[in-house]
Amino acid sequence: MGNLSRRGILRASVQLAAAGALARPYIANAAATTATVWWIQGFVQEEDVAFREIVAEYQKVSGNTIDYSIIPYAPMRQKIVSAVTSGLVPDLFQNSPTELIALYAWDDRLVDVADVIDTQRTEYTETALLSAFCYNSVQKRRGYYGVPYTTAALPNHIWRPLVEKAGYKMEDIPKTWDAYYDFFKDVQRKLRAQGERKVYGLGFQVTTNGNDPNNTFNYFLIAYGGQDIVTKDGKLHLDDPKVRQAAIKALAYPATAYKEGFVPPGAINWNDADDNNAFHSKQIVMDLDGTISTEVAVIHNEQDYKDIVTMGLPLSNEGKPVPTQVANAFGLIPKGAKNVAVAKEFLKFFIQPSVNNVYLKAGLGRNVPCMPSIAKNDPWWLDPADPHRVAYVTQGLLGPTVPSLWTFNPAYAQVQNEHVWSTGWTDIMTKGVAPEVAAENCFKRIEEIFAKYPIVQS
Amino acid sequence: MNSASVIELGRPVAPRRTLLRYWQGTLRGSEFTWAIAFVIPYIAVFFAFVVYPVIYGGWMGSTPRLYGELFSDPIYQETVVNTLLFLAFGVNVKLFLALLMSGFFMHPGWPTKVLLMIFVLPWAVPALPTFISIHWMLNGEWGLVNNALYTLLGVEGPSWLNTRWLALGAAICSHVWKWLPFWTVILLAGRMSIPHEIMDAAKVDGATGLRRFIYVTFPLLANLYLVLTLLATIFLLGDFNTVTFVTGGGPANSTHVLATLGIRDAYDMGHPELGMAAVLSALPLMIPLVIILMRKLRTTEVQL
Repeated sequence: MGNLSRRGILRASVQLAAAGALARPYIANAAATTATVWWIQGFVQEEDVAFREIVAEYQKVSGNTIDYSIIPYAPMRQKIVSAVTSGLVPDLFQNSPTELIALYAWDDRLVDVADVIDTQRTEYTETALLSAFCYNSVQKRRGYYGVPYTTAALPNHIWRPLVEKAGYKMEDIPKTWDAYYDFFKDVQRKLRAQGERKVYGLGFQVTTNGNDPNNTFNYFLIAYGGQDIVTKDGKLHLDDPKVRQAAIKALAYPATAYKEGFVPPGAINWNDADDNNAFHSKQIVMDLDGTISTEVAVIHNEQDYKDIVTMGLPLSNEGKPVPTQVANAFGLIPKGAKNVAVAKEFLKFFIQPSVNNVYLKAGLGRNVPCMPSIAKNDPWWLDPADPHRVAYVTQGLLGPTVPSLWTFNPAYAQVQNEHVWSTGWTDIMTKGVAPEVAAENCFKRIEEIFAKYPIVQS
Repeated sequence: MNSASVIELGRPVAPRRTLLRYWQGTLRGSEFTWAIAFVIPYIAVFFAFVVYPVIYGGWMGSTPRLYGELFSDPIYQETVVNTLLFLAFGVNVKLFLALLMSGFFMHPGWPTKVLLMIFVLPWAVPALPTFISIHWMLNGEWGLVNNALYTLLGVEGPSWLNTRWLALGAAICSHVWKWLPFWTVILLAGRMSIPHEIMDAAKVDGATGLRRFIYVTFPLLANLYLVLTLLATIFLLGDFNTVTFVTGGGPANSTHVLATLGIRDAYDMGHPELGMAAVLSALPLMIPLVIILMRKLRTTEVQL
């Protein structure tokens, strides 16, 4: 975890002052007024400092006031759900959890922010724009209901010393999907033969809580060719044999690896932090997990920071690149907000590449930009001196990416919230159910859920 | 004129008590005004933070369709069983042990006092860090418990949190461990309030040890024990922390209790009405408990 340094704060302040000067043209002439903002606490303290400075700069140039609260991730989720349910909403909050944008857009609970996005439309990746383009079931149309300002993906995190202790080099790791993950089974075997009693090759999160198992399943589904399970028109395609096969394989591979003893038994009941703890204590050789927070958490332990290798996704079994499914963070303006104008103005200020860059860099690159120009114009993002950031930016921003499936239909958000797929894993792992049967059970439940979210026009 | 009319005529005329007079009671003038001034903030807070949320929650969970959805959910069905087991074991084991421990701590001398100080520590430390620590300690692969078993006995311990019954048992044990000191101290206070004369008389009559406990101590503590059982049941029904931080409701949502399922449905599933319905479904158990508790509190004035 990064520490605050006087130099760091000064540097951020100078950058922000420069960014603010550039940003001024985007400040509209709204009457001076106050907007209430709920913002998620940063992973490192620098993120919160940067946000406060951005707010201060905005207030200086606009004359408006941003009455903000910085709230930890978990309570934020509860606060947002409670606020939107009761109707007592702030003017701006983030999509915590990420799928909130699709669910609230469906219920017509968000303000259309296309005009905010338009100020930077050419800067955004296509995936970021697609992610914000959600369906409103009341108005029977799609619209931009969130303003993207960052991107997160799941890289592979690998302990190089454990791979080398098993007698391999990093270059020995195969390039295609199944062979790639099978490699770590071999590493485990070799390490066990050397007396490492509790080392496991694979850190798959085959649990039924949190976001991690959903992400893990989706990555396998896409790698096996099941990306079209939900298409851009919001339609479900469980009748597609390719999708069905991909789903069966995505259920089978991690669950079988678990049953064979290559995933820690406790993974069946891990929470979002448990895989990180397991990885940091070198109990798992690799972990497929969101962001480079795993690496950033040990940034002050130079040896560990260097010993961890961040890798993007392997190729598919057919040797083709596998697109990375990314999750964007958005600024959302709920319907019922008292000061939509200032909330939009603040977002316009915040997403300008120069301002956005200061904020994202303060997070030590844990999240990557959703604007390629930021990474291309600032050498910090692709600095080869950092062993992790380059791989992460290449995977999550510059490489092929696809949006979360709930973007196309919020039914998939409910599929994820119910952990339908990971329940299928559990059936295979603990009840001995065949993957095909587990998949059929999942398909049935998913069809029931999608029946509740009919998209009549796209 | 009949006799009843005669009696009526002979009865002195009593001033009729008005409603205001009834409310005033023995208070007069400015005393009554001050009383009202003092009580209004409490009433306002009570309405804002008790009456309104209860009515709002009841309104949120008032749609019959929600209960159809809830009762057909296999996770809810498991949750009801878990909740009943949690109550049955969590309350009774805890209070029975507390009853025994309170007897131990009645022994005079400084070693007992020192032990009591150590004994209350689990209750004194914050709940969340301790439950999170227990979650890590019970990790099957690198947790303290299994590592200790392996190091000391060469035994591979089970994966404590990977199967429903072991995980639920772990949650119940954690709850008992955490709250045992609290109820022990209350029962200790109950024991200390038994008059010495009664104990001395029992001793003179030859009642010592177990006989004294069965025929003297426990009958005197019985009502207190029952009230504590009711209170502990009500508290436990609302206990969210133990299951959330020890098992996380897992594996595969098999160890939820109503309090944690309500939060899962409300926030993780983004369906607050369903979460409220899950919590409200405990009312058929909760309301009779509260009524019995109130009655017991009214009728046990002369007993401990």
